[in-house]
Amino acid sequence: MSGTHSSLPAPVARVWEPLLERSRSKRALLLMAPLLLFELLLFVAPFLILLRISVTEGSTDLRYAPGTWSLEGYAEVFSTDVLLSAIAYSFKMGLTATAITVVIATGYAYAIWRAEGLLKSVLLFSVILPLLTTLVIKTYAFWPLLSPTGTVNDVLVSLNLISEPIQFVPGTIGVIVGQVYIVLPYAVLAIYSVLSTMDWGLVEAARDLGASRPRASLEIVVPQAMPGIIVATVISFAWSVGAYAAPGLLGAGDDLAFALEVEQRLLSNLQWEVATAYALVMLLLMLVSVAALTAVLNVFGGEFEYA
Amino acid sequence: MHRETIEDALFRASYLSILAFMLLPLAVVVVTSFAESGQLLFPPENYSLVHYRGFFEETRWISAFDNSILVGVGTTIVATALGVTAAFGHELDDGRAGQLLAPLVLVPLLIPPIILGISMRVYFVRAGMDASYLSIILAHTLWATPLVYFVMRSVFSRFDWRLLDAARDLGAGPIQSFVYAVLPNVKHGIFVGALLAFIVSLQEFVMALFLSSHNTETIPVVAWTTLRQSLDPMVSVVSTFLILISIGAIAVAAIATNLDWLSKQLS
Repeated sequence: MSGTHSSLPAPVARVWEPLLERSRSKRALLLMAPLLLFELLLFVAPFLILLRISVTEGSTDLRYAPGTWSLEGYAEVFSTDVLLSAIAYSFKMGLTATAITVVIATGYAYAIWRAEGLLKSVLLFSVILPLLTTLVIKTYAFWPLLSPTGTVNDVLVSLNLISEPIQFVPGTIGVIVGQVYIVLPYAVLAIYSVLSTMDWGLVEAARDLGASRPRASLEIVVPQAMPGIIVATVISFAWSVGAYAAPGLLGAGDDLAFALEVEQRLLSNLQWEVATAYALVMLLLMLVSVAALTAVLNVFGGEFEYA
Repeated sequence: MHRETIEDALFRASYLSILAFMLLPLAVVVVTSFAESGQLLFPPENYSLVHYRGFFEETRWISAFDNSILVGVGTTIVATALGVTAAFGHELDDGRAGQLLAPLVLVPLLIPPIILGISMRVYFVRAGMDASYLSIILAHTLWATPLVYFVMRSVFSRFDWRLLDAARDLGAGPIQSFVYAVLPNVKHGIFVGALLAFIVSLQEFVMALFLSSHNTETIPVVAWTTLRQSLDPMVSVVSTFLILISIGAIAVAAIATNLDWLSKQLS
């Protein structure tokens, strides 16, 4: 663009160029404005209202008492055992699911990265298809597989590995398997997209210098993939802690997750001040632990030692 | 050499077992949809199309199907319009607005849908818009727009901007130059972005569950409420339809671009 206008006389160009720049950025702003406005109206504003309702008084005939100020909601959250133990359950389940997911995802992303041709397409397809399938199907699919009359138990019993069917579903094992299945595609793709920019020559150099293959993978590939592993951890953790479908459909009576409790307070009990306070407490705890997780992983990313 | 063979075999066995883990649950759902009995068993004892016949006779499923399409198309239109224009603007000028926009668009994806669902429900009930199609479309747009936006950023960053400048220099107006110089080069990207937006909306259920009523419930919502009462093989039928739609969308998107590029956009 500057090529055209450099033929203008110097004084004109001096005035013209900044004007052109400004009109360009004004047009850019105009193009970005609708989305900015949308995010403000549909994301920021609802959160501010959520925040405001969490500090109102409860009301028996309405969902909350508008215009009042009170910390009742928060007091109820911190004094109710069911609500607190649901948070603890969600964190335990989330950490377990995240740890399993990230380990499997790293290996699978590595396999996709190394694969070629049809195999690579098949592996990528196996990740994208579950990613584009609704949570409901992804959790429901484990009923015929993991229930006491399910396929896995049939196989285990007929192989005489177990004498009695084990109740994976409904139960905590089922919840974790389902949750891993839900977040695994996102984790694999996050790691794969980082790996795909990596130079395979580095691993070969390590091999040439005498590293065994598992050692070369762990010492070269894992640190390089760290940015992707961190993203995978954050996504898996955030979604598993807030998981609703897996504990709701695959869980037993004692698999009371945060999401199920908050739904009940909001939709059945109509205690909006409690539900909103509860959601915000959970979100805050989640942000703090995501920050802590990222910090820990960053340390590993900086100087990864494999003895 | 012997050790390497064992390592190779182990490596292959482990990724193939993960491959099975990824695809088996979906295969199970498809197979159980052809079961004859009303019990959910895999593999089924006898096969028939009885549940498919049942699906087309049940008005609740049919109207949920219509609702899903309506919400999906609405979401696609809004998300594509917002995402494409914003990504285009961001490429024109990477100013302060752009630096604010990228994280703002991304954050909703990282917040658990249950918390977004609660904030949306509270918001729309207060606005008197709960249980409307529009509320579900707007909530889904919040999730679909980031995908369109980041796909388009990636597409626009590969676009040769001298083409646009040339069109402007030759006297085309802003809209004319976009339509004739930019659009033909990025239409595949827009198409894939729109397709992803549609699929995201079609499959999303937590926010839809919080925002829909009996009249506006989408397929995943009906599937969920059905499952909470009993394990109905009818859900397998509906799931099979949804899985087929996703496979179709992946195939079309892979033809329009390629699978590797697509998978990097989704992360």
